[in-house]
Amino acid sequence: MDKILSVGIDIGTSTTQVIFSEITLENMASGFTVPRINIIDKKVIYKSDIYFTPLISQTEINGEKIKEIVEKEFKEAGVDKEKVSTGAVIITGETARKKNASLISEQLSDLAGDFVVATAGPDLESIIAGKGAGAAQLSKKENRIVINFDIGGGTTNIAVFDSGEIIDTTCLDIGGRLIKFDQDNQIIYVAEKIKKLAAEIGIKIKENTQLKQSELKKITEKMAAILVETVAAEEKSDLYQYLITNHGLSQKIEPDYISFSGGVADYIGQEIEPEENIFAFNDIGILLAQQITHSPLYQDYKIVKAEETIRATVVGAGSHTTDISGSTITYNGDVFPLKNVPILKITAKEEANKPADLVEIIKKKLDWFDLEAELQPVALALKGKSNFSFKEITELAKIIVSGMDTIISNRLPLIIILENDAAKVLGQTINRLLGQKEDVISLDGIKVNNGDYIDIGKPLAKGKVVPVIIKTLIFGK
Amino acid sequence: MISERDLRDIVKEVLKEVGADNPKTVEKVENEVQSAVSGTSTEVESGVIADITEVDLKKELLVPNPADEKAILNLKANTSARLGVWRTGPRYKTQTLLRFRSDHAAAMDAVFTDVSDEIIEEMDLFRVQTKCQDKDEFLTRPDLGRQFDEENLAKIKENCKDKPKVQIYVADGLSSTAIEANLRDVFPAIKQSLEGYNLEIGTPFFVKYGRVATMDAISECLDAEVSCVLIGERPGLATAESMSCYMAYDAKVGMPEANRTVISNIHSGGTPAVEAGAHIADVIKAMLDQKASGLDLDI
Repeated sequence: MDKILSVGIDIGTSTTQVIFSEITLENMASGFTVPRINIIDKKVIYKSDIYFTPLISQTEINGEKIKEIVEKEFKEAGVDKEKVSTGAVIITGETARKKNASLISEQLSDLAGDFVVATAGPDLESIIAGKGAGAAQLSKKENRIVINFDIGGGTTNIAVFDSGEIIDTTCLDIGGRLIKFDQDNQIIYVAEKIKKLAAEIGIKIKENTQLKQSELKKITEKMAAILVETVAAEEKSDLYQYLITNHGLSQKIEPDYISFSGGVADYIGQEIEPEENIFAFNDIGILLAQQITHSPLYQDYKIVKAEETIRATVVGAGSHTTDISGSTITYNGDVFPLKNVPILKITAKEEANKPADLVEIIKKKLDWFDLEAELQPVALALKGKSNFSFKEITELAKIIVSGMDTIISNRLPLIIILENDAAKVLGQTINRLLGQKEDVISLDGIKVNNGDYIDIGKPLAKGKVVPVIIKTLIFGK
Repeated sequence: MISERDLRDIVKEVLKEVGADNPKTVEKVENEVQSAVSGTSTEVESGVIADITEVDLKKELLVPNPADEKAILNLKANTSARLGVWRTGPRYKTQTLLRFRSDHAAAMDAVFTDVSDEIIEEMDLFRVQTKCQDKDEFLTRPDLGRQFDEENLAKIKENCKDKPKVQIYVADGLSSTAIEANLRDVFPAIKQSLEGYNLEIGTPFFVKYGRVATMDAISECLDAEVSCVLIGERPGLATAESMSCYMAYDAKVGMPEANRTVISNIHSGGTPAVEAGAHIADVIKAMLDQKASGLDLDI
């Protein structure tokens, strides 16, 4: 049994948090068979305070302050950077669109540990929040469709899971801090998209004015109605389309359960007493929560309580981003960790091509990565058969060696990602073809798609497995 | 089976009871019954009966109107146990019973057939035999299934490289089917991997009527450092094609069983043969590095 320490850092529109979790690996196979290392437990062992995300201006994150927070929390938790094996930094919500976001997440990931990766993008945020909220696990346990709404300060990240598998994601620009007030209830910030939403229902909203509570109620009521459309409307309204952050759902979703996470979720289904506490956070978060409570989303569907609400994303980043490879893999050379490796995926249909054609397909796809301009490793991903013969493996190895020639001749590590269990023999066959001279990394038990990126960490469990973090940029396209 | 005479008596008896016992009627009825019973009907149907062994049991749903179809199928996907087979009265349904019997028959066949000459030749193996003379003796005398007579030992000594670092050989064990199904894929994978480690492999051969502990006699005879036998496992109802690989460092007659290492469950529904082969080579490498096997081996 192996225990590894993982860190999650979430810099959201409104709050910044850090957690540490302990991930336990164990060989689940009997001693008489090929090993099968699984993640058997994930336990959050430390949760930081919840900080307001420090900003320099509305468009810039205060990197120095964030660094201070993270360093302080490492100290509070008594965790050495060297002890952290894996984890993720995620900049979420509106904050992700601040101009210095990616720079800060890169700096933080180095600060936090060797294999702590920087992530971004609404799709991955939705998936991470859904896992942190427990929606993925519930869906797996009950074999049901669960949709999680992670309603934060700037965005609502939506993830749909069926039997534990992510099947769809979307993100809307709806959140609790898209309108902010000062002590005197004067509006000090309102997001552009919310101005338009308000205008649609005949309310004019702008900074340095005040609105009646009844008008704010109407605005949040409309925001809730947009959320309802996600599951209830066959045809989405123009306003809904306008509020989509990146892309809409790709299918009609009929959820068995709905769960809510994010800061706003804490107030969904709650009565607020006394009434004036409704603006306790100087924003519209609680008001939005109330409108959601009264909407069909809460009233007409089966609601399950999320395991985490405001901490869903940070727990997801710390506990649920790391996967492990299959337990029979091939790697040589000390090349780990490998970060931000783009995926070149060969579809099952393409795999069925004649060898010569498949070589051409791989070559052509590899050209897309424009290696001449910038040399970088690219991971070739394919499903593979569940029962290759040795002849077929040899054939496939030859195809890969010719198809990935640009990678090999540039002495970049050759990275192969299979779904089915054949990575060890495939890697060894490629090694033989290459005269055991090149860095070959052949992993299995990992499902990735075109457009994903993969991070591969240092081997664990006596070198039998490697940790991987898959970063989905665009889901399902 | 009813004899012809019994049949005639029954027909007579019945016709008498219904009052139609004149000789002509009796003869006509007798002939009809006779032809029906002996199946001499000349009509040939062109239909095909579906092969019940083609059905993937893990994906087969037999529970009528299940409350949660997805849940049953998810459960079934994780086991080869025959879950949710339903019933008729207190019994299995016909389909379930027939499939059970056919799988049982496949298991019996795996034990009682011989490994074919084709595969032994294809894999370029020479053959030796234990002290067992036939399958019955092999099944009833485990002791003889691990010993060789002088002649066979001499043949091994004569044909094999002496003092190999790794001696790999094949034995039928309790499933010839397993050898036929996996050897072509597992052996070259082990070989390729060991060559990648620059490890020298001895001369492979085939042992008929061989049990696991043949490795002790073979290891002593050739003075092998690591011995490794690819052997058919006792077949079960889940599969008749499962192969094991038993390995030992410095095997000797009378060695404790705990000093053997095994990788079992090599078949299309278990560990894929090629991948198992690649893993076996790693285990062999670890044995040579640590000069140990079985419980003493740390992997």
